[in-house]
Amino acid sequence: MLSAIGTHGPTVSPTTMMVLNVILFIIGVWLLIKPQDRKQTWLWALLLLTGLASASRIAMGFIPNVMPVTILAVMVGSKFGAQRGFAFAILVTLASNAVLGHGWWSLFQILGWGSVAILASMVKVHDEEGILSMSQLAFASLWSVPVFSIIVSLSIIDAGMSPIEFGLYLVNGLLYDLLHFLGNLFFAMWFGQWFERLLNMNQPHHQIVQQENGHVSTF
Amino acid sequence: MMRVATLFLALVLFLPLAQAASESSWTHEFEDGYITTKPLVIEDSVFVRTSGFWTGDARPVIAAFDVQSGDEHWRFTSQTSLQHDMAPLLYAEQGSGGCGSWQDLLIVGWADGKVTAHSTEDGSLVWENQTEIDQIGITGSMLIEDDQVIVPTRTGLSSFCLADGEEILNVDVGFIGWRNGVTAIEEGFVFGDESGNLHTVLRNGSVFSTHLGEGKIRHAPLDTRHGLFVHLQTEEGSTLFLNGSVLASVGQSPAIPLMHENRIYAATSDEWISILCDEDTCSIEATEPFHSNGELALRIVGTEIEVWAHSNTVSGGWGIFNQTAFVRMENFSFNTYGTAAPGFGPGVIAYGNDAGVLKVTFESSEPLGEEKTSVNILGGIHYAAVISLFLFTCYSLAHRDIKQLTKVGSAFLLLIAIAVVPELSLKLAEQTSPNGEAEWNPSWPDEWLGTQVIVFEIDGVEHTIGGLEPQQTVYDLTMIACDELGIETEIEQQYFGAYLVSFNGSVGDGWEFSLDGSRSQVGMTEAQLNDTSIVEWRPA
Repeated sequence: MLSAIGTHGPTVSPTTMMVLNVILFIIGVWLLIKPQDRKQTWLWALLLLTGLASASRIAMGFIPNVMPVTILAVMVGSKFGAQRGFAFAILVTLASNAVLGHGWWSLFQILGWGSVAILASMVKVHDEEGILSMSQLAFASLWSVPVFSIIVSLSIIDAGMSPIEFGLYLVNGLLYDLLHFLGNLFFAMWFGQWFERLLNMNQPHHQIVQQENGHVSTF
Repeated sequence: MMRVATLFLALVLFLPLAQAASESSWTHEFEDGYITTKPLVIEDSVFVRTSGFWTGDARPVIAAFDVQSGDEHWRFTSQTSLQHDMAPLLYAEQGSGGCGSWQDLLIVGWADGKVTAHSTEDGSLVWENQTEIDQIGITGSMLIEDDQVIVPTRTGLSSFCLADGEEILNVDVGFIGWRNGVTAIEEGFVFGDESGNLHTVLRNGSVFSTHLGEGKIRHAPLDTRHGLFVHLQTEEGSTLFLNGSVLASVGQSPAIPLMHENRIYAATSDEWISILCDEDTCSIEATEPFHSNGELALRIVGTEIEVWAHSNTVSGGWGIFNQTAFVRMENFSFNTYGTAAPGFGPGVIAYGNDAGVLKVTFESSEPLGEEKTSVNILGGIHYAAVISLFLFTCYSLAHRDIKQLTKVGSAFLLLIAIAVVPELSLKLAEQTSPNGEAEWNPSWPDEWLGTQVIVFEIDGVEHTIGGLEPQQTVYDLTMIACDELGIETEIEQQYFGAYLVSFNGSVGDGWEFSLDGSRSQVGMTEAQLNDTSIVEWRPA
């Protein structure tokens, strides 16, 4: 099943990868459509943001670690909860890696962004009235980086890697984590409110007006 | 502000596209025949001829293509020529002389002894004439002098009027020649033969011959200030002659040498050679291990000189040298054996090889310079953006506009980080990573000892090769090795420089290389190799 164990994690055979992708996709769709009490005002917004996040991740692939996926995972998790946030993480990873390349790392990327979304569903960047807090979003730009980075880095661990080597690997990535944080902050500050409008796109108009009035920041 | 942000993001996203658009090319594959001689790039056209291995009804052709689009303008097919059509194409600019006037012509010497002149516009036959054949006809390079084209024939020399093809001079020297190009000297014309003789034909038709030695003269002699230079092919290898005296003995199957200013460049199956001619004599100044047996070409890029030599090996490609040393390889996915020099035009390079593939590239004709220019443009935009955002950040701070400050400040910090993180990260990696040494794998063949070895870990499988010709950079070795191993590569010029996108279509989370066990501080095009370097490519 796993054809080789190397310094960069197991290399998954194409068949296994395909099966894994299908299973993950089914889980993603199930998490997405699984009924909840809330009205389904989120579905189109979530699909739209999934497409946006995937496309931007592919388009910005030439600048390492700078992409809006993490900040969107935070916002989706906070707004629609852990279940939808994790579905978002699965679908974005599968869609963008279809172009960028699938592998063992795909699983860890899903876990990384999924964990960020789950944490955001608990920590929240929206207040009790559902209004986006820009200061909380800025803070989330920071805390989401180590969460994602550490989980994704676990993909490189194999039997021959010592804790010191893993530590060195993390240290070597610190500067790129900084880049990740600054990218998150940039997308939060410049596009946070726009993403929020997309998240609210199917909400009744009076609710949106109410929330707009309470905005900390508007464009 | 939203519009500004969108414009900013669009600019960032489109930068790589703009850079990618600056590198374009087209390829034409001839179904039958080698391309053995240099394609000619004349104004907006590329002219090329094919030779050899045609089968059935297929015959050798000359063809003209639009240099920009690759559209075929015209094609002329010889119904009578035999194999080995390897006389280089000759362009004659329109003019007039004692025997009449002529339009722009493409002069072609054929292996069936014909000389044909074609309109460069539509390929139509303007005139033709016949030279002597002895199993085969014309195979050497011709030249134009005044209103005549001078043709080295199989058994001697002829000249024809450019206006109507009328034969003016016909000399038979009694020896057969092969790829026996002709050179004009003060007294007349000089060429060699397959018996090691050097023939000088005066303009009145008189002939003087000199026997240099047992061997074959398969190029146009070079007229240096110290006398004629000849690279004689011998049974054991080859011998360099200057003014009739032996200069040196070198490798087998010599290429066609060329001269520029005070230097002569030559090559064999074993080496590339740079010969310096000073006040007293000419002598070898530098050699580099290389395998080239065909045409050499010279290109001047700014103040730099590039000597291009086709690598006549299965991995093919073109070696590029400066006056004394190897600089880099130019490789393509269709690389294979070849002897044709590339043809150069303004911003254009036309390549041909033994697979009958013609490739024309634009703007990247000065690859290093072009890349540098692109990087400079990107760097300039980046620098201007950083300065502007810095000023804007200061402005926001002065006005205590916190909302604006967070936006502008985040963009400013991001641009700064994009500029400095890659380099800082490499330095950090160097500090924190243990200094590894590449380990020789006992399973590798002993023949690879003392050579460069490269390892690719693709989809969990290691592909390894060694014993290749020594290469200058990780990029060069990677390209050569991938050709040998049949690994497809995809490389992009990205914001941070040349970036290896995939091996055999596998992108993953990127690829990284180690050089002699350590991470390199520079990219693959800058990472220098020594003769025993071990390079390892693995998924990031």
